[in-house]
Amino acid sequence: MDRRSAMKQLAVLTGGVIMIPSCDFSEEAILQAYQNLNITASQKALLTRVTNTIFPGTTLKRAEEIQLQDFVLVMCNDCLKENQQQSFVLGLKQWDDFTKQNFGQAFSKMDQNEAADAIRETMSLEAAPESDAALLGRFLAITKQFALQGYLSSEYFMKEIKPYELVPARFFGSKKIENA
Amino acid sequence: MANLNIKSKQENTYDAIVIGSGMSGGWAAKELCEKGLKTLVLERGREVKHVQDYPTTNMMPWEFEHRGNIPEAVKKENPVVSRCYAFREDAQHFFVKDTEHPYVQEKPFDWIRGYQTGGKSLLWARQVQRWSDFDFEGPARDGFAVDWPIRYKDIAPWYSHVEKFIGVSGNRDGKPNLPDGEFLPPFELTAGEQYFKDFLRENYPEREIIVARCAHITGNQEFYAKQGRALCQNRTLCQRGCPFGGYFSSNSSTLPWAAKTGNLSMQHHAVVHSIIYDEDKGKATGVRVIDAQTKETTEYYADVIFVNASALNTNLILLNSTSNRFPNGLGNDSGVLGKYVAFHNYRAGISGEYDGLKEFTTEGRRPTSGYFPRFRNVYKQETDFLRGYAAGFSANRSMINDYSGIGDELEKAMTREKYGPWRVGSHMMGETIPKEESQVSLDPNLKDAWGIPQLKISMDYDANDEAMIKDYLEQMTEMFEAAGFTNIRTRDDKRAPGLDIHEMGGARMGKDPKTSVLNEWNQIHSCPNVYVTDGACMTSTSTQNPSLTYMAFAARAVDHAVKNLG
Repeated sequence: MDRRSAMKQLAVLTGGVIMIPSCDFSEEAILQAYQNLNITASQKALLTRVTNTIFPGTTLKRAEEIQLQDFVLVMCNDCLKENQQQSFVLGLKQWDDFTKQNFGQAFSKMDQNEAADAIRETMSLEAAPESDAALLGRFLAITKQFALQGYLSSEYFMKEIKPYELVPARFFGSKKIENA
Repeated sequence: MANLNIKSKQENTYDAIVIGSGMSGGWAAKELCEKGLKTLVLERGREVKHVQDYPTTNMMPWEFEHRGNIPEAVKKENPVVSRCYAFREDAQHFFVKDTEHPYVQEKPFDWIRGYQTGGKSLLWARQVQRWSDFDFEGPARDGFAVDWPIRYKDIAPWYSHVEKFIGVSGNRDGKPNLPDGEFLPPFELTAGEQYFKDFLRENYPEREIIVARCAHITGNQEFYAKQGRALCQNRTLCQRGCPFGGYFSSNSSTLPWAAKTGNLSMQHHAVVHSIIYDEDKGKATGVRVIDAQTKETTEYYADVIFVNASALNTNLILLNSTSNRFPNGLGNDSGVLGKYVAFHNYRAGISGEYDGLKEFTTEGRRPTSGYFPRFRNVYKQETDFLRGYAAGFSANRSMINDYSGIGDELEKAMTREKYGPWRVGSHMMGETIPKEESQVSLDPNLKDAWGIPQLKISMDYDANDEAMIKDYLEQMTEMFEAAGFTNIRTRDDKRAPGLDIHEMGGARMGKDPKTSVLNEWNQIHSCPNVYVTDGACMTSTSTQNPSLTYMAFAARAVDHAVKNLG
């Protein structure tokens, strides 16, 4: 059985049982900018690693270069319903432990390929809704959704990659496509 | 009236008072000022000056903190306005929040309001289809409400008068149930819409798609330059207020025009409590106003009063204008004031895809869409429900990307787009029947922040509306399938009345004072120096977006008022 299938089975069979959320004994300060999230600077740093894994900057700019982590946090703080907000925050807090236990290495220690695999595999797990695996899946789905929204509507993307026209001053209803 | 502000009566006297500065109030003001009357416009909200008070108008998408989304906390506090399609981060400052002006929903009703200079004319969808005699003759033919006291010929010249000034883009389509007007060049149908239009011509000859007429300037630039307005630049960011004045609003057009005459006075934060009726003179003499901020009461006086406070607020003001002569509200001898309100049925819609026309796409943006004029029960009764529906219709093609991956796969996919299928869609705009039990009234106990009774709203869908939804979905599905559209999905979103933002009636026009509030000139039968020319005057709802008709009524009524002034 390869690792991927084993992971899937494990998650399905055990649900949340093997996952023990780490207790946070540190005194690290809560980031005041996101009052609904109660997260720390190191959790934000972990999120930044996640968004940098989603947008590593090989073809386009890296997520961090356009402060995508800030946008994800603003949206999670302001525009999510409470239960989704909880999924996001709990998931973020458990992500390093989850990856350590399921992929043998904490996410924050992984290189880009390993990190991308961990995200891909977790997002494709078929897990019971109450399981930790499902929770982490929801955390990643929310993060990716806002990261993608933020990227596509970023100044960088809308100026340099796919220019947005504030004033098109035209409309053609039947434009012939060259090489259609 | 403990804190009555007694300024000299003379200082507060005008030739005319207009209550409300929105779509129809702006028109009343323009016409009155042009005819030389010193006119006071009372606006209950804050001042919004054209261009300079459109804070988001030139913002780029990335400049919005939530990229257009409304935060959850705002939604939680304002569930009603949050359901409105245009209540987004870029235009939220032009909407009344639920808490600002509470009302009582005896039945669910989403009351969407804009309290500021220009009212909802800043935010409207700018659709301006004329009504025809198929609409004005509807109640008499089909036996509901009361007969309209006017016919198309009475209002046609006023439609023209309004259209020329506001600027209306459209085609001369030659359809008797959607009369042609004074049109500037039309926007194009898309290739997908043209395909469906051609398909209908072959297969459903009595049904037709046209490009919807909209209040956008697409020609005759010199004429509109006199209003300080320029050609529509296809931004489709209209709800933010247009820096070009490309679409019509009171702010960009009628109010500045009225101001240029020197006859206009505007009072903001002026909440109208009631209209003052003088029993000795047997007419209305003025308006009692509460300052929204200081709560101070002031009275203003005039020979003629136009009520354009928006359909339901006009009802509220008239119901609250009590006197010995009118104990149940101004002009309410008949007891019908507040009754026979109605709306447009926007509950149903349909979407699908079209796989053809691969070699075509669209370019740029268009501030309107295709339009399906009513085809049901036009010439004769042919279904088991009364009246019918118009519908929006659009077919657009967008680029699609595969965003399923992560990492470099995702980054590459974001730069690699391809043409998707044509996406087709339609939403219904159903005529609803005004009924006696559909009504607004004053709550006997609850008051607003200004001590004015809260409005109690009670209207709902009925069996006729349900039958019409069913028919719309059946007919559209049949036509979509026959046209070769795929992935067809129908929806009935069960929305409450109100989100159509086409509430009408309550002070309906009619021939008989025993069954109506207003006469054929929009005058209150029993108090003829008060004119009502907003949505409250409507006897029936038709299927067409009503604003153009309110504006035409306002201009026509001013002409009548001025000709009849002492």
